[in-house]
Amino acid sequence: MNELSATPAARLLPSIWKLIRLRLLLNWNSFKHAKTGRKILTIVLVILALAFTGFIFFLSWWLLGFLQSSKLTQYAGFDVTPFLQSVPVLIFALLFLGILFSSFGVLLQALYLSGDMDFLLSSPVPIRAVFVTKLLQAVLPNFGLAALFGLPVLYGLGISGKYNILYFPLVLLVMVALTLAAAGLSALLVMLVSRIFPPRRVAEVLGFLTGTISILCSQSGNLYNTMGRNVTISGSQVNGAFALLMRFNTPWNPLNWAGQGLVDLGGGRWLAGLLLVALTVGLSALAFGFALVTAEHWYYSGWARMQVVATRKKTAHTHTRPAQSVPGIADTAGAQTRRLLSAPVMAILQKDFLLYRRDMRNLSQLVTPLIFGVFYTVMFLRPGNPIFPDSPDMPAIFSSIGRLIATYGNIGMSLFVGWMMLGRLAGMAFSAEGRNYWMLKAAPLRTTHLLIAKFLVAYLPTLTLGMLFMVAVSILQKASPAMFLYGLLATALCLAGMNGILLAFGAAGANFNWSDPRRMNAGAIGCLGQAITALFLPITFGFFIGPLLLAAVFQWPQIYGYLAGGVAGTIVGAAGAIVPPWLVRKRVERLNEN
Amino acid sequence: MANSATLIETQALVKRYGDKLAVNNVSLEVQAGEVFGFLGPNGAGKTTTIKMIVGLLQPSSGTIRVAGYDVQAQPLQAKAASGYVPDTPNLYAKLSGRELLRFVGDLYSLDRQRMAQRSEELLRVLDLNEAADQTIDSYSHGMQQKASLAAALMHDPKVLVLDEPTVGLDPKSARLIKDILRQMAERGAAVFLSTHILEIAERMCDRIGIINNGELVAVGTMNELRALGKAGETSLEDIFLGLTGGAEEAEISEILR
Repeated sequence: MNELSATPAARLLPSIWKLIRLRLLLNWNSFKHAKTGRKILTIVLVILALAFTGFIFFLSWWLLGFLQSSKLTQYAGFDVTPFLQSVPVLIFALLFLGILFSSFGVLLQALYLSGDMDFLLSSPVPIRAVFVTKLLQAVLPNFGLAALFGLPVLYGLGISGKYNILYFPLVLLVMVALTLAAAGLSALLVMLVSRIFPPRRVAEVLGFLTGTISILCSQSGNLYNTMGRNVTISGSQVNGAFALLMRFNTPWNPLNWAGQGLVDLGGGRWLAGLLLVALTVGLSALAFGFALVTAEHWYYSGWARMQVVATRKKTAHTHTRPAQSVPGIADTAGAQTRRLLSAPVMAILQKDFLLYRRDMRNLSQLVTPLIFGVFYTVMFLRPGNPIFPDSPDMPAIFSSIGRLIATYGNIGMSLFVGWMMLGRLAGMAFSAEGRNYWMLKAAPLRTTHLLIAKFLVAYLPTLTLGMLFMVAVSILQKASPAMFLYGLLATALCLAGMNGILLAFGAAGANFNWSDPRRMNAGAIGCLGQAITALFLPITFGFFIGPLLLAAVFQWPQIYGYLAGGVAGTIVGAAGAIVPPWLVRKRVERLNEN
Repeated sequence: MANSATLIETQALVKRYGDKLAVNNVSLEVQAGEVFGFLGPNGAGKTTTIKMIVGLLQPSSGTIRVAGYDVQAQPLQAKAASGYVPDTPNLYAKLSGRELLRFVGDLYSLDRQRMAQRSEELLRVLDLNEAADQTIDSYSHGMQQKASLAAALMHDPKVLVLDEPTVGLDPKSARLIKDILRQMAERGAAVFLSTHILEIAERMCDRIGIINNGELVAVGTMNELRALGKAGETSLEDIFLGLTGGAEEAEISEILR
């Protein structure tokens, strides 16, 4: 019988296999055509992941076995068995919720943004096969990650607890069932949200939130310590955590049935175990089936592609202005500024600032330096955190050097945050144009004007932040006016120098071929720029504060230190700002011609 | 034709990508008031030639003059005189249509009042008024194409270069664009457009150039092209296929049989 004349149900599995094979082929091709370094990295990562799985498995086996030993119970005075039995409950509940939320972004991409849905749906494969494949494609990486951490612990628990043999395959079965159910529900969630908001906007907001939460999580420990609290865990806190965990393990919560059922089965309580596991698998299958059928229906009927709430279009201006009085895009900065800067420069400045503000994917890239900035500001400015503590016994010379280091060390920190910001703003200034670069290239725009505009786009926001930091430091540390002004000069010039270098390297390695701002990069040349500015920053800053330190050591009048440092630092900073962009100007003329 | 000044002139234009010769010794002229159609099969070198004319690509050798300015030696003057509509309307997605036009106006250093007047005029003529304050990522392909044309027309260029301007447009928008191009030519501009739609070229263009494998194989009016073709080749389609090779046709009919 011809495959196409078979019933849709009969064609389902072969079609799913075909689509999965296509996905595997795409992955294999991208691996095959990758650079050798990337191939080696991929292989090393796979080996490391396998090794990590093995390590977690043996560690769990040993640790859980140790926790179950009777000697520990005698010694510690409490039985950890109820806690251990809560571990599968916790893992399966986390797995379900984790897959439900983490699949959201991937499914949004797969169903709305990948652009292949129309092609797949118009091909002679059952629509169900397309959806199953999309769900599997979205869920497999997350499932792999969950299995990497969860399976070794669950198997370790089984071995150390001498669980029944049936426990082991059922762990995998339940894991797969819960994963599919979560992915199905996540697909429905994606469609509901996309009915209300444009998918691309949802993806932007999601990217921004993910970036922010990741950085906040990675810095939470530091932030906690910064607030002056030491992380110590007492015995009562551990007991409290155990109690909370076990309270979570109630029979009324469906998320607990999988873990509890497996523990019961492993421990030989067959009836309760089989009932709970069967309930979990059955409900998961029902949820998956329901989600699949509903998602297909919503998508095919067009319901999920017709927005209901977002009829409010993205409007940049809500009022219509009379033609004669409309200012140009470069107008808002004022006529005074326009005398100094040409209209094209101002237009590029305003355009770039508008785009940074409107595209949240750009903001998600800037969130790292901003959070670092806030974090270090709190760390350095909070009271009772002297970097160089004053002591009455300390000789005056050390005391004055110490105060210098404390003041200018804080400026150094603001410059470090500025360096991170400039890495994105200046390093990617040209790449950020993407496929729209033709508009600048086809316009009668001088290369110097383009370089000035891109320089200012990166420099102005970074300088503003640096200045604010300086003002805050100076007020809190009661810096003298001379110190304050000198700090402003040092900040402005160091940032300008780094900006020039990063801009030049970014231009040299510009990449205009991207569709998501998070994927743009200036490649190896951009990294080189970052490395060079990492050296340039301390050197320039050294030129500024070195003469001041020398003046303090040799007890020369401070004005000499300011003058010498100001001249030397200004020369180096200005050279960094001007020379590298000047060197790449010819290259900028020929950008995007390959 | 309004007058006979040469507004686009290429001489022995060559573009090499490594060993590959994308454009080989192309010499052509487009006069003021003329609509010039540039035809060729896929990969023949149309877009490469166009990009060199508007200053997006540096030729390997040869010269290009736009409105009398050498594109290599006087790029700013040449660019100020020309407008370009690319085949794919890649525009700043997060700017509104109105903001885009003002941005372009500033790039071309237009006077404030003229910029405001011109942008409103273009938005109205191209039927983008309603969507003028919405960001471009909410525009349909046709609207983006029209926004791209509006951007190219902002500074009222003497030379308008368009790469496949009617692709993806509905008949009404395609007709609108054709009318605008004709009016531009009547006002003395030179319009250089590439297209795959031979009917457009036949009906709209005063002269047609056909490029194949990077070489300009024919240039002239429809009558001149007919004279170049074999006996019985009266339609542009026949002439085009005759000049660019019709071997694929036989192969296609073999496959489809």
